[in-house]
Amino acid sequence: MADVPQNAGYMMAAYVVTAVILIAYAVSLYRRTRNL
Amino acid sequence: MSLVQKGRWITAVALVCLAAVYVRALAFTPVERLQGPAQKIFYLHVPAAIWTEAAMILVGLAGIFYLFLKDPRLDRFAEASAEVGTVFATIVLTSGPIWGKPVWGTWWTWDARLTSTLFLFFLYVGYLLVRGAVRDPGLRARYAAVLGICGMCLVPFIHLSVFLFRTLHPQPIILKPSAPSLPNSMLATWLFSLATFTLLYVGFVTQRYALSLAREAQHG
Repeated sequence: MADVPQNAGYMMAAYVVTAVILIAYAVSLYRRTRNL
Repeated sequence: MSLVQKGRWITAVALVCLAAVYVRALAFTPVERLQGPAQKIFYLHVPAAIWTEAAMILVGLAGIFYLFLKDPRLDRFAEASAEVGTVFATIVLTSGPIWGKPVWGTWWTWDARLTSTLFLFFLYVGYLLVRGAVRDPGLRARYAAVLGICGMCLVPFIHLSVFLFRTLHPQPIILKPSAPSLPNSMLATWLFSLATFTLLYVGFVTQRYALSLAREAQHG
């Protein structure tokens, strides 16, 4: 049986990037509404 | 409770659910043997892609109804949906290449699915730029509605591109006529993630809609 590829770094990168994008947008919405 | 507060609460619940999706996907979902841990990007990439496309369909439908009814609520909703769709498209276009590098050996290839998704992203950006550039509200809403309808027409092509062309991007394993070809544990994680992205979409759109409403009230 072939070894499972060791590429967890890519997985972590994608999860971090997604969280950063979503949280940044949530913060942007909050700040834009507050600054009106 | 005001609309913006409702949006904030829904977003907060969605972000807590997203944390739970991360825990379930990373710690309690099996690793796929051929692709390794990178396959777990699937749990974020595909729900984000579905909502990128669904958001544009809703922008287009709101545009069609706006052209007939001239109801500003439809234009406000389309604007909100387009902005949130752009955020989800950004996730798709960043998580996709990060997944592609270890599995395909390349960050990017100009195949039909990837290129048409990039085109959809540019349509989203163009839509938001048009809205920012036109001052007259009626004209802005009409231009935006037409652009939204064009974007909506692109979505079926994106979904079918993997069947119409020879692409490196795989064919759907869940949204297809036959049953999903995924083990139940993976399917459950994916469904949980899809529900979370749905909640994120609703929370973000509610907040963005409330922001437009507040801006209009401020400017009379």
